[in-house]
Amino acid sequence: MARFDKLTENLARGIARGTSRRSLLAWLGAGMTGAATFPVLPVARAATPSGEGSHGPHATGAARPAIMSGLEQDPGDRSSCDYWRYCAIDGFLCSCCGGSVNTCPPGTEMSPITWIGTCTNPADGRAYVISYNDCCGTSSCGQCLCNRNEGDRPQVRSQSNNDYNWCLGSESSVYNCSVAAVIGVALAEPK
Amino acid sequence: MRLIAPAFASALTSGLTSAMALSMALSAPASAADSAFPKPLAEESLPSVAKLPAEWPQSWVTVHDFHFNAIVDGRVAIVDTADPVQPLKGLVRAAQFANLLISKERGELYTAETFYTRLTRGERTDAITIWDTATLQPKGEILLPGGKRQQSVTYPHLFQFTNGGKWALVANFTPAQSVTVVDLAARKVLGEIDLPGCSQIYPTGERGFTSLCADGSLFSVALDANGAAASSKSVPKVQDIDKQPLFSTPAMVGQTAWFVSFHGLIQGFDLSGAVAKPLPGPFSVGTADGGTPEWRPGGWQVINADAAGKLYVLMSPYGKEGSHKDGGSEVWVVDPAKKARTQRIPLKGQTLAIAVTREATPHLVAAQASGVIDIYDAATGAFVRTLGASVAANPILIQVP
Repeated sequence: MARFDKLTENLARGIARGTSRRSLLAWLGAGMTGAATFPVLPVARAATPSGEGSHGPHATGAARPAIMSGLEQDPGDRSSCDYWRYCAIDGFLCSCCGGSVNTCPPGTEMSPITWIGTCTNPADGRAYVISYNDCCGTSSCGQCLCNRNEGDRPQVRSQSNNDYNWCLGSESSVYNCSVAAVIGVALAEPK
Repeated sequence: MRLIAPAFASALTSGLTSAMALSMALSAPASAADSAFPKPLAEESLPSVAKLPAEWPQSWVTVHDFHFNAIVDGRVAIVDTADPVQPLKGLVRAAQFANLLISKERGELYTAETFYTRLTRGERTDAITIWDTATLQPKGEILLPGGKRQQSVTYPHLFQFTNGGKWALVANFTPAQSVTVVDLAARKVLGEIDLPGCSQIYPTGERGFTSLCADGSLFSVALDANGAAASSKSVPKVQDIDKQPLFSTPAMVGQTAWFVSFHGLIQGFDLSGAVAKPLPGPFSVGTADGGTPEWRPGGWQVINADAAGKLYVLMSPYGKEGSHKDGGSEVWVVDPAKKARTQRIPLKGQTLAIAVTREATPHLVAAQASGVIDIYDAATGAFVRTLGASVAANPILIQVP
C-alpha cells in the first residue's frame, strides 16, 4: 500500500504542477482511485445562518486567537477556514488539534493517501500544490471544522467527493483532523 | 437491590459529619408531617427500563446523528415527531460511519458498523447488529469480512434491503468498490459483487441492485438465489456528472427512484425490473425570484417523497458551485405526474434533511444544522411545532419506518 501511495503522490505532484486543479481531478478520475479528502458535514455551515458565508466558518462560530505563520509570505489565520491553503480542505483543522498546518497531532497516524488541491497564496500570487493528509487513530478532534465544497461531486466520482472517510491506508480508520501541507508549486493557472 | 438501598442511604448519612447535614436530616421529617402532604410519595419500583411499542406510531421516525465530534460513537435517535415534550424515545448505537435499516415486518433494526478492539485502535471488526424495535436490545450480529465496509458521511444507499427484505446489501470501499450480499434471516454472508467505478446501492427488481458509475452510466445487477450475480447490464449516459450531477440520495416512491441534480433537474428511474430504466422527460423543480445568484437544492437529504408520491425538495436561494451541502431554507413540493411545482414551504432555519411521515395527516420533518427539528403540515406547509435541538447533535438523515 505504501509504495502505491507514494507513487500516486509523486504522480499527483507532477501532474498538479502542470495543470489546474480541475484538470488534475479529471486526470485522477481517469487514472486512479486513491486521491484523498475527508468527509465533512454540512453542519460546518451551522454558524452561518444566512447560508451565504464566503467559505466554511468555524464549527463553533466562536472567536479564537489567530494562529499565524509569522511569515509575511504565508499570511492568514491557520485556525480560520478562510486561510488560503484550505481551499479544498474538509474536516477539523489540525492547527487547532495539537498539530499544525502540516503536522498531525501527537498520538495520531498520518494517512498515506491524500487529497491534493491547488491553492493560490495571496502574498506571492503563486499557486501551490497542497496535500490534505488526514490524521487517524484518535477520535474526532472537534475543533475548527472547515467545509468547502467547490468542485465536490457525488460519491459516484469518488476522487472528487469529500464524504468518504479517507483514513484508508492507515492502521486505524478513526479520523482526528486534516493538515494542509505545501508540497510544491503549481505552474499553471490556479483555480 | 431494594434491601441494600436503605442501608446504603444510611451509611451515606452517617458519613456526613457536618452539623448542617444532620440538622437537615432530622428536621426534614418534622416539617413534612406539618405540611399539606401528610403521606410521602409512593416507593418506585426498580430497576425500571422503558420499552417501546412493538409497532411504532406513524408519527415516529429515526434521526441519524452522525455525531461529528465523536464519529466512533455515532447513534440513531428514535423520535416521536408528535411529542414536543419528550420527542427522544431512545437511541441505537451507530458506530463509526454507520448505516441503519428498519424492518417493520420483523420488528428489527439493523446497523452496519465498524469497531476497533481498543475503540480507536486494535483489530477492526465490521458487523451488522440486529436490534429489537421494542426493547432496542441487540438480538444478534452478522460479521462482515475483510474490514472493507464503506465509511462515509451518512448515505442511506450504502446499506439496503433486497429480496423482499430478507437480504441486505452493504457497500464496500477500500477504495476498491464492491457490495457484500447478506442473508439477514440466516444471519450469514452470501457473497460479494465487485463494482469497479460504481457507487451506492439502489435495490432493483425482486433481487438485485443498481449503482451509479463514474462514467455517467448506471450498472444493474440481478442476483441468483445464492446471492451471486446472475446477470448484469450497463446503461450508458444516465447523468452528466460535470454539468448536472445527481445527489446520491433519491426520493423513493415504490420502486421508482426520483433523483434531483445540483441544479434542480429531477430525473426518475424505474427500478422495478432487472435493469434500471431512466424515465423519459427529466424536469426542473422550477425557479423563483430572490436567488443570489440562484435557487438550487442544498443540504444533505435534499429530496424525499410522501405516501402519495409527491416530491419535496430542499432549496436554497444561495445556489452556486459548492453550495450543494450548505442547507436550504424552503421546501418546494413537486408533482412528478404533472412535472410541476405545487407549493413552496418556507422553513424556520437552515435545514439539512427532510422527510415526510406516513400519518393520516402527513408531516414534513425538517432537521436544521443547529440540531433543531421542526414539524410542518405537509399538505398546507403550515408550521406545527418544534422539537427543539433535543434529539441529536448532528441530525443528518431522517428515516421514516
